[in-house]
Amino acid sequence: MNFFKRQWMVPYLFLAPALIGTIAFKLYPIFIGFWESLIYTSFSGGAEKRIFVWFENYQYLFDDKIFWKSLEITAFLTIIINPLQIAMSLGLALLLMRKSKFIRIIRSLYLLPIGIALPIATIIWGLMLDPNQGLINGLIGVFGIPPQPFLVSENQALWCIIAIATWKGVAFWMLFLLAGLEDIPKQYFEAAEIDGATPFQKFRYVTIPQLKRTILFVFVADTAANFVLMVPMIILTKGGPLQSTNVLIYEGYRSGFYYQDWGRSLSIVTILTVITLIVIGLQLLFLSEKNEGIKVK
Amino acid sequence: MIMHFKRQWSVYLWYLIIFIGLIITILPFWWGVAASFKSNSEIFRDLAPINYKAFIPGFSLDSYFAIFENDFGRSMLNTFFVSITSVAGGLLINSMAGFAFAQFRFKGDNIIFGFVLLSFAVPADAIAIPLFKMMRQIGWFDTFYALIIPMLANGLIIFLYRQFFLGIPKELIEAARVDGLSWFGVFWRICLPLSVPVTLGAGLLLFVFQWESYLWPLIAAPSPELHLIQVTLGRFSTEYEMVWNQQFAASSIAGFLPLVFIYMFQKQFVSALTGVEQK
Repeated sequence: MNFFKRQWMVPYLFLAPALIGTIAFKLYPIFIGFWESLIYTSFSGGAEKRIFVWFENYQYLFDDKIFWKSLEITAFLTIIINPLQIAMSLGLALLLMRKSKFIRIIRSLYLLPIGIALPIATIIWGLMLDPNQGLINGLIGVFGIPPQPFLVSENQALWCIIAIATWKGVAFWMLFLLAGLEDIPKQYFEAAEIDGATPFQKFRYVTIPQLKRTILFVFVADTAANFVLMVPMIILTKGGPLQSTNVLIYEGYRSGFYYQDWGRSLSIVTILTVITLIVIGLQLLFLSEKNEGIKVK
Repeated sequence: MIMHFKRQWSVYLWYLIIFIGLIITILPFWWGVAASFKSNSEIFRDLAPINYKAFIPGFSLDSYFAIFENDFGRSMLNTFFVSITSVAGGLLINSMAGFAFAQFRFKGDNIIFGFVLLSFAVPADAIAIPLFKMMRQIGWFDTFYALIIPMLANGLIIFLYRQFFLGIPKELIEAARVDGLSWFGVFWRICLPLSVPVTLGAGLLLFVFQWESYLWPLIAAPSPELHLIQVTLGRFSTEYEMVWNQQFAASSIAGFLPLVFIYMFQKQFVSALTGVEQK
């Protein structure tokens, strides 16, 4: 009884369950990932043997063409998908700011992909993009375009995955931008209008500066999310055809779960985590104003 | 006159873009639901060559019966169980932590809060593989524990509760303390009942998060008896590659519930997600 009377304990007791959960299952695994990437597991003679090998797993990785190819694909995907999704989400958010009789229902309909889980979106899009009987080939056939191979083509598969992820992602990121746009005081636009600003000037000198923090948040969060995009690869392409969709996170997944090469798997995950942190750090450095943290709300 | 014409023109353009966007957004969904009520031969017949019938729902429930014979019901029950326990447990521990951050100043509070914010910058899929190794070490691999417990603590939800509890007048809490209520009483009897809007939004986030999770249940609980709905769906798409109507039926069922909840509580959901109060 006395135990609970100690006032200084109270906040820690309230905090304990969530804090333990956060540390044990969100932060500690990052360290485990790094630690295990320094270990080589051999299965010789039926017994599992763990050997501490320092950075040997990384050395093997750096000599491996598959790894470099995978890194290249990840870089390409990152450069394309993030600006694309941000631009489309921002465009959509601006479109949905217009007043209209139907704006409520239009906004609601655009939220639909948020409720559709990525595996579902992946499966349905996979069937839509089926090269033989898919809906898309049927539709483009109406316009006289010959059937495309889509996911079974080395040149098109990654673009298809970009399309699927963008279909699913744009509505989600748009929500944040829409909320940010609605937070901008109306007087700013009215003042700009009185000064004779064109719509583009209003966008450039009112919307963008006011929305900067939200855009930065969405950019960072979207980038982090797309670095680990692998559900479409797991369900549809298995990294192929010809490794064309074999992004780092999928290569890490495959090394572990298909080939039981956990040292390699976790080296890749660790490298990816470091890359993610560097890219996000650069984004924050270049895009945020000085002495200003991101607004996380 | 010219002004008027210009304005009209921009409205039409707006409607055109919005309309095309809506088609792209809704088409896959519409087609999938429509096709889930057809036989496979019907689906393929409507596609080659493509005609309007592809978008008109059939009226056969065969695909739905077939998936339930295929253990789909089991994975639905599993998902209900995991989602509901996650919502209950997650709401409790995260609201408690939010209460601690809002009510008390204590040693290390800023640092600990920083850690919490950091934790929700870590994408769940990035730590899935090391977390999987950890589950094996502590013996939770392939159990419901692995599906539920690591997913309970959630930085975003702690943050939401903290913001809400900060807005509760201090006098109210002091009065309750003077009346002899314990701190847990203050939390449980006063603060939590006031937080219905946050709780709805946060609960919905936790529910949708579990209902839609795929990668973690795929690797953490591979036994068929523990499969969650998205995992079963993924399995269908490879094992029954040519049975399109069953894939559509399973997708429709899996997608239905989160959609209903999100549309029912759209305001709370968007508020919880973006942290901006919806009007």
